Amino acid sequence: MDSQPVMPSKYERFKIETKPAPHVYQIPNKFDVSAKKVRLAAMLLHEAFEFKLNKEVVLSRPCIYGVFGGRFGGFKPLKQKCVGCMRCVQEYPHIMTVKHSDSYKRLGDSFWTPEAVFTIWNEASTGKIPVKGMGYKGGFGGEGFDGIWTDMSEIVRPTRDGVYGREYISTSVDVGRKPTSVDFGKIDKTPSTVEIPVPIIFDKVPVGNGAARSAVGKAAEKLGTFYISRQRTTFDFGPANLIPIVDEESIQDLVQSPAAIVEYEADKSDIFEKLASALPRSIIIARVPLREESAMAACKLARQGVHGLHLYADYHGQDYSKDSKHVSAALKEVHQELVKEGLRDQVTVIASGGIALAEHVPKAIICGADLVGIDTTVLVALQAEFKGETRDRANCQMKPREIDPEWGAQRLVNLFGVWHDQLIEILSAMGMRDVRRLRGDIGRSMMDAELREQSFKGIAWAT
Amino acid sequence: MGNLELIVEKHSERIHHGLEVLPTLRHGLPAGLGNKRWTAELILATYEMALTGEIPKNGLEYKIGDSGGGFDVLGWKNNGFAKVEPNKIDLSIPLNKREDGKKIEIPVPIYGGGMSFGSISLNFMLARARAAKKIGTYMSTGEGGYPDDIVPYRDHVITQVATGMFGVREETIQYAPIVEFKYAQGAKPGLGGHLLADKVTMAVARMRESSMFTSLYSPFPFHSVYSVEDHKKHVGWIKTVNPQALVSVKVSTPTDVDMVAIGSYYAGANIIHIDGGYGGTGAAPEIAKKNIAMPVEYAIPKVHDYLVSEGVRDDIVLIASGGIRTADDIAKAIALGADGCVVATAEAVAVGCTHCGNCERGRGCQVGITTTDPELSQFIEPEWGETRIVNLYNAWSKRLRSILAGFGLESIRDLRGRKDLLVRHK
Repeated sequence: MDSQPVMPSKYERFKIETKPAPHVYQIPNKFDVSAKKVRLAAMLLHEAFEFKLNKEVVLSRPCIYGVFGGRFGGFKPLKQKCVGCMRCVQEYPHIMTVKHSDSYKRLGDSFWTPEAVFTIWNEASTGKIPVKGMGYKGGFGGEGFDGIWTDMSEIVRPTRDGVYGREYISTSVDVGRKPTSVDFGKIDKTPSTVEIPVPIIFDKVPVGNGAARSAVGKAAEKLGTFYISRQRTTFDFGPANLIPIVDEESIQDLVQSPAAIVEYEADKSDIFEKLASALPRSIIIARVPLREESAMAACKLARQGVHGLHLYADYHGQDYSKDSKHVSAALKEVHQELVKEGLRDQVTVIASGGIALAEHVPKAIICGADLVGIDTTVLVALQAEFKGETRDRANCQMKPREIDPEWGAQRLVNLFGVWHDQLIEILSAMGMRDVRRLRGDIGRSMMDAELREQSFKGIAWAT
Repeated sequence: MGNLELIVEKHSERIHHGLEVLPTLRHGLPAGLGNKRWTAELILATYEMALTGEIPKNGLEYKIGDSGGGFDVLGWKNNGFAKVEPNKIDLSIPLNKREDGKKIEIPVPIYGGGMSFGSISLNFMLARARAAKKIGTYMSTGEGGYPDDIVPYRDHVITQVATGMFGVREETIQYAPIVEFKYAQGAKPGLGGHLLADKVTMAVARMRESSMFTSLYSPFPFHSVYSVEDHKKHVGWIKTVNPQALVSVKVSTPTDVDMVAIGSYYAGANIIHIDGGYGGTGAAPEIAKKNIAMPVEYAIPKVHDYLVSEGVRDDIVLIASGGIRTADDIAKAIALGADGCVVATAEAVAVGCTHCGNCERGRGCQVGITTTDPELSQFIEPEWGETRIVNLYNAWSKRLRSILAGFGLESIRDLRGRKDLLVRHK
């Protein structure tokens, strides 16, 4: 019998290719190093005498990062090299001062801390996960996403060794409606779902120039994810990765060139039926602001037949209720109501607003989202300037800079690569092989407020 | 003396002098020092205690940090004047409460946590081992093996067996009075260890039986342990190699940490060591340190209460770590239900760590703690380091005695689970 040649099957494990995309615009020095010059001169004289003019010893500097490696040593420190190790202050406390620079402290706004801005810049620039030694350095728990810890597996439950690629962990999610049963009368009327390899899409760019939007489009294409846009520039319209926001007037434009996924603003007009009829092959997502009645509105839309819900908070992650709450709490309410009504598995939930750091992705998913959208984070990665508060969706105080779209796309690919790797770390620790299993799994998380009440029960309040 | 020696001597002397001068605040509070957990004052107070063996007298905050939660929002009930002579207070705790096995007690409710050879310098490791011997307590090797230089201190050295099995040999298990299984660590709960290539020098590679300057990853978890029964086999393995050894099980703090603890007890562990999510010294992804597993403040009562309800609390030792910075943290952990604590970062701060977190960058730690750089490592002379760590423990002991004296407690063991002595601040 002739043996059939074995054709190698095409298989590639999903991987985001990162490569350095250094900052184009100079970033502020994190630390400000300065020396009292007279004392420094006196110290050099003293050491010259002490070490008998042994130049090598006298000029050996108290920094292993090269801050004093310039021509003028401590008289003109290379501040950009300082990492805040404080050794110079330890050795010469009467001469040296190291502090966070004013320009660093001014970064961001009331939501975006300087540390968060630096984190995004570094992730977008290097494509590498932030690693540091000597434990955690921030505040304890807190509000919103900070008040959520993710679970880990230990001894009695298997973990997944996904970090170094020894076990595969899927980060793919499906977008679209999933009927709970087959209805032969509608079998051709529901578009199939779309699978994307990471549970992150680009929400519409808050304030953008053409280059920023182009970078987003290119990055989405490279990553196999989607970007949302209201703009209809030559570049934006048509590509497979665009999710256009449509209204009654623009429906007909799409009939000629339908998109795989479309969004409409459900709080402004009820056009789902028209959209479903005009775009039968498109997945239709209702865009809904999170506010008091969002849970009921979500259930109503799900019953109406929408394929997904895009629930958004403001850019600081606060919902639009009178007494605003964090997007994590608002999401949980909507998710739980959809579960209670037996509707949750039918619709895809996208969450956006306040998704600023890698850890916010798994936490939003734990709170009930299938995937998230990022917004101001995109502009931070592209080195946009903060001009005030970024909270208001209609008036976000950020100014995009002129950039090369290719550079911008690589920065965003890097950001996704790093966030993807960090998502894998969270899932590995939890022993999950699929991000889809994380959705709404509050049992695999720990809430600061709840734990505090349980563990500190019986401890009196100080008077 | 060659120039290299002169340079090392010069910087060593100046660093040591700086550690004496800075806590006096003669030059003010260094603006760029510290963070919310380890504030500048807490770091300087630790320097001062490591220098003098006394509680700071110049008003430096030495009890709490500024994290806004956990230990930092717990205080003590107003306990007034001392009701017991502080010097008569017993700070010792047993490390084996089971009927069988060697009875070991330590004179303070503290021992040193695992920091591996390779992640820290040999000189710092030696300083810790010497201090442990002097105090009469223990320090753990971490997972990087057991350098020959610490063999003379083996009666005070815990051998750690972790997933990479680096340097785990029959004799290092036989040396050990206590063997510690590291199932997880607070620095990176649920993730394996990672030693970056730059730190894998010839000595480190030899110890770990690996290649030089190649990154080393420890798997997670132990692929031989997926149940309590598997874990029991591990314990049995150690007991076969060294029947006298006590077994400590180091775990992190998942939602079901109480179940893990009871499972460890039934598998035969003498010590259940919970390492909270905010702790750790090893370089780790920032996302892991901040977000995975619960802080130890919340895990201690959960485990303590569960062990009490199962009726086994007095048969197993509960040790807490992960963010224990001060004597007050230790006392609070015990009041929440632990028997004692493990510390590591505080020992590093005692010898000059600034908690800057650049341990894995370039040549490693600038003051010779977390480095394998031959020049930088020399900044820590083992004898000097030993003295500072011993002093820190002495200062802490004084503070612990002062807390207990105020409540009229004659032994640290009487503080265990006394949440009623704590208060919460908003």
